[in-house]
Amino acid sequence: MKKLVVIASVVSLLVWFSVAPVRAAEDIKIGAAFALSGSIAVYGEGFKKCVDLAVEEINAKGGIKGKKIEIVYEDNKSNPKDCVTAVRKLITVDKVPVIFGPAGSSNFMAAAPVAQESKVVMLSAQGTAEKLTQAGKYIFRIIPSNSKQGQRLAKMAFDMGYRKLPVMYINNDWGLDLKDGFVTSFKKMGGVVTDIIPFDEKKTDYRTELLRANRGNPKAIVNLTYINEGAVQFKQAYEMGVKTQWLCGSAARAPKMVELAGKAAEGIMGTYPSVVQDTKAYQAFKAAYKKKYGDDKIPIFGDYNYDLVYLTARAIEKGGYTAEGIRKAMPAASKGYKGVTGDKTFDKDRGMQKADIGIWIVKNGKIEDYKK
Amino acid sequence: MDSLPYYLQTVLNGVLAGCIYALFAMGLTLIYGVLNFVNFAHGELIMWGAYFLFLAISEPFALPLYAAIPVALVITALLGAAMDFAVFRPLRQANRLTLLIAAIGLSFFLRNAAQLFWGAEVQTYGFEIRQGYQWFGLYLTPQQLAIIVISVICIIGVYLLFFKSRMGKSMRALADNLDLARISGIHTERTILSAWVISSLLAGVGGILLALDTNLNPEMGVTNLIKAFAATLIGGVGNIWGALAGGIIIGLAENIAVLFISPGYKDAVAFVIMVLILLVRPYVVIGERRD
Repeated sequence: MKKLVVIASVVSLLVWFSVAPVRAAEDIKIGAAFALSGSIAVYGEGFKKCVDLAVEEINAKGGIKGKKIEIVYEDNKSNPKDCVTAVRKLITVDKVPVIFGPAGSSNFMAAAPVAQESKVVMLSAQGTAEKLTQAGKYIFRIIPSNSKQGQRLAKMAFDMGYRKLPVMYINNDWGLDLKDGFVTSFKKMGGVVTDIIPFDEKKTDYRTELLRANRGNPKAIVNLTYINEGAVQFKQAYEMGVKTQWLCGSAARAPKMVELAGKAAEGIMGTYPSVVQDTKAYQAFKAAYKKKYGDDKIPIFGDYNYDLVYLTARAIEKGGYTAEGIRKAMPAASKGYKGVTGDKTFDKDRGMQKADIGIWIVKNGKIEDYKK
Repeated sequence: MDSLPYYLQTVLNGVLAGCIYALFAMGLTLIYGVLNFVNFAHGELIMWGAYFLFLAISEPFALPLYAAIPVALVITALLGAAMDFAVFRPLRQANRLTLLIAAIGLSFFLRNAAQLFWGAEVQTYGFEIRQGYQWFGLYLTPQQLAIIVISVICIIGVYLLFFKSRMGKSMRALADNLDLARISGIHTERTILSAWVISSLLAGVGGILLALDTNLNPEMGVTNLIKAFAATLIGGVGNIWGALAGGIIIGLAENIAVLFISPGYKDAVAFVIMVLILLVRPYVVIGERRD
């Protein structure tokens, strides 16, 4: 009897082992270490919606060579430590060859070396920090980097006639990087930066920072901020009677920020890696989004995440479902590929070759492209 | 000549931040005094208090603010009592470490529960933003005025309750010596329950004020609780007046510091003060000297 049990368990184990890999091969699993809780979960939820939309579309058209795509979501809890844990779990437990990395440059850069060492491809749809892809050749991004945006912001401030202004920035890799890009370019043009004020994430009270920035009533203040922080700051500045032209970066350009800050957000301007929205592809994306979720407010960077799925699917189709294959196929898959966010061709640093930086403005409670 | 209002506004900002910290710290210190452990789930009471109001003023209830606030506070107090009943009461005889771990666990549970119901997105009560009143170059919004006035009312209320009422006497007796209090015929469970209710009410009031002044998100409690914790340490754990003083000290120090050093170190200021006080006057925390 005992023998029988042993044999039975050995056989069942063998069967399980031989069946398991086959079952795994049925679907194409892609990891996504997204911020589903924590301070920037406000971004993560929007990304997920757009990724799900793209996956649904691809699968409805027969998937990749007949195989369905399945996204394995892992919550990165919005902090670098748990980003590493999430990416490590996707690699070791779920054994995915390709991962959509965490948002927030600091978070992404904490996890990038893990993917690189494990030889797993990791991509960013919204990381703009200069050094983002430095970890190695398995790391890609499909959004233009900060230096280009910093230059554009400086030019915009200068063109609007501002020569002296203070700079506030969120104290993380993204903010620091964009601040450096802006300050260097602005000084080169002959502008003067009167004060540099870093602030921490997740605070509820920025009054004194704002007071300091507004000292001497500058005509404009550069504020490189996020959605929640920006909403609190603009509201508090409004209550304090601060009258200035706010100049922001890409991360504040979100309907949610305007919703939270209300009329305090009116007139705020900023730069962002622009996406030409009157293309057929973009309108189709917008319509599909509206059909699935009922509103046409595309979440911030949602369009990039949507492109990320399609681009990855192209690379898998070309290079096969292995990390090495995807990595090698990536440049060719991207070459000349036009996603909803434009040309996605990679440069030699695995970032974007082309960068359109646009200017946004809040007008009547809506974010619009600024036209002179 | 912008400098006098400039500094006065900073002091005002400090007092505002300090009032919020003090409200949180008083609740924290109350539970510490009576039950002798740090309730790390206090931050979640703060957050739930704010969200209960959000629930009450939005559809389908859509209560007006004056009706919604009492409702929200009552539910917050019930939540505090439920926390005690479900988690801390069965652990009444456990050691402090167990209680601490249980509180941390509860904190995660309640935060994630809020995330499940309302999502991790930031919410707002949606009241119209208004420019503050201006007095002598100082700006103060109605919400901020409310923060200061209500904080003062809460402090006086807690004072009266603690030092002038029978219930307060029992609480202080319990804080002094649990066994002795029990032998003297004090109804300990009832006293502990009222400590929870008061602590939850303070948390609810603080959370609602904070959310009225800023926004709501599931992390709003935990980020401010750390400062409140530092405030209780500065003021002496278990000491109501100390919590108030500690809160105001931290609020003022970090806001004034922002003018002179890089605001990136704003948080460090609070904790440097805390460490210094621990080093210089450790008896304040240990509570050996009672003067």
